[in-house]
Amino acid sequence: MTSNPYQPIRAEIKEVIAETPQIKTFVLAPEKEIGFLSGQFMQVTIPGVGEAPFTPSSDPKKNDMIEFTVMKAGQATGRLHELKSGETVGLRGPFGHPYPLDKYHGKDVYIIGGGVGIAPLRALLLALFHELERLNKIELRLGARSPEDLPFKQEMPTWGKREKTNLVVTVDRGDEKWPGKVGVVTEIMLPGDVNPEAAAAIVCGPPIMMKFAVKKLLDLGFSDKDIYLSMEKNMSCGIGKCFHCNLGKHLCCVDGPVFTWEQVKEIPDPW
Amino acid sequence: MSEYFINTKDFNYLVSDLMDKSRVAAPAGEFGRKYWFDVDGDSLGRIDLTGYRTVEPCKAYLFKPTELVARYFDGDTHLSAGPLVLLGARACDLEGINVLDRVFGEGDQDPFYLVSREKTVLIGADCTDCGASCFCSLVGGGPYPTACFDLSLAVVPNGYVVEVGSEKGKKIIDDHRNIFARVLPPAAAAKKENREKVEAKLKRVNQGFSTGELSLLHKLNLENDIWRRLTKDCVECSACNFICPTCSCFLLVDEASSGLNRRHKLWDACLKAGYAKVAGGGNSRPRLFQRLQNRYHCKFDYSFDRLSRYTCVGCGRCIDGCAGNIDMREIFAALDREIKK
Repeated sequence: MTSNPYQPIRAEIKEVIAETPQIKTFVLAPEKEIGFLSGQFMQVTIPGVGEAPFTPSSDPKKNDMIEFTVMKAGQATGRLHELKSGETVGLRGPFGHPYPLDKYHGKDVYIIGGGVGIAPLRALLLALFHELERLNKIELRLGARSPEDLPFKQEMPTWGKREKTNLVVTVDRGDEKWPGKVGVVTEIMLPGDVNPEAAAAIVCGPPIMMKFAVKKLLDLGFSDKDIYLSMEKNMSCGIGKCFHCNLGKHLCCVDGPVFTWEQVKEIPDPW
Repeated sequence: MSEYFINTKDFNYLVSDLMDKSRVAAPAGEFGRKYWFDVDGDSLGRIDLTGYRTVEPCKAYLFKPTELVARYFDGDTHLSAGPLVLLGARACDLEGINVLDRVFGEGDQDPFYLVSREKTVLIGADCTDCGASCFCSLVGGGPYPTACFDLSLAVVPNGYVVEVGSEKGKKIIDDHRNIFARVLPPAAAAKKENREKVEAKLKRVNQGFSTGELSLLHKLNLENDIWRRLTKDCVECSACNFICPTCSCFLLVDEASSGLNRRHKLWDACLKAGYAKVAGGGNSRPRLFQRLQNRYHCKFDYSFDRLSRYTCVGCGRCIDGCAGNIDMREIFAALDREIKK
């Protein structure tokens, strides 16, 4: 008999970083080391309140601390946002399939993110930075509603300064201090950014943004199997038993949450 | 498979003996219908293995409507179950348990289900009649158990013919060797005759509904707008979910009391509007027809990708329980007509 899959382990909040008015990063020290791969998710327990699924935003190679970048959106995330450094949360996981990094070797990696969807992509990016020599290049296209809604404000500009890495950021609505692009993220996805014949595109963000990003990628010449999506549904048990996260024939928690467009395109309105 | 005969008096003795060591649950008639009940010394005579399946499935004995699954962070979760005998489960009930065994036992395991299941003896029973909503024959089943039992009974004059289905079942026979006899030709003939009679009635009851391959039928109608019309009478009561022997969706709910946090596993229903809702308001199936359609695809289409079988066992309880009078078989027939258009 397996151990209890519903039992969370304890993790202490070491630091809370306010990223935006709605997004905070929680730096956690789990009582036992947790090894995760970028794209996998974990269930974060707010003691006595409940759980919510999040993909860690930290470097998967860093095992003593694990970071979650969370937008205040519902009951659990609302309560999580009230917690302070020194308080305790619970963790279960990791669950699901990660991004298949080996499939990106030798290719252009086209990363498209929006809003809090940039959080899991940060973990992916930090993992990819460990193997930059195996990649052709990384093209980052990130967006948010406004400049203040962009997470990782200090760190983000440094990503674009890494070798083989280019970064373009856009916001739906700029302000007088915003020096960058204004418009939705699909407007900064341009022909020539990457070679769709030898590239992998990774998309994470709000459903509407993912929908249009996929459409754009297909227009740019990407094949269905080279488009990777983080389909985060209502994952609860994490082990394929409770069925809350079913997406057509798939269960996001065990078959995903990372899917290729090829896997989900037949599902009517998968978003 | 070995077969034995046991007379009615010895059968009662056997049940009493099983009761000494286990909780025993069996069907009993009440107001013209049958329900599962816990047998005790005084109610042995209420056990009724004639007729067809009970109103409710026996899944609640194994997959509990609510169960404590974690106490955190320092609590220890009690993971144990007492011995249980489910006596008189019909073929559809047993198939339902087979689905639950696979859902909770394959891949990552759910130890709470498995610990109860391990301690359970399944004693099946042939149906001696079929109900107006029974349709096991349309999903590859039939009115008598062929698998997933430890022992199975067929009611015959003056007793039962007992079939052994597992080592667990064989042990019960071996422990009570003196009360089991050879099956004589009249008993064997009575068993066969009953099976043929019920099979013929099932066929009559389901005449006109036969639609062939249900999985294909669903696949071909995945994007058909007919679902809006077919499911317009659904009122989201979710009776079909809760009364289904294979519906096993659950919710994890946390609570805090006396300084300790507890996590419970609760039956949930995919028809409920909030089922697939995520923080921020997103919902993969905001419309009721989408949720009911998803339930059909879950049982007849997606189930093949996951378990290579239907996860509907044709018990018809969802038909009996539906507040909107939706009959699954009429939906199959309508889907069939759609693809033949």
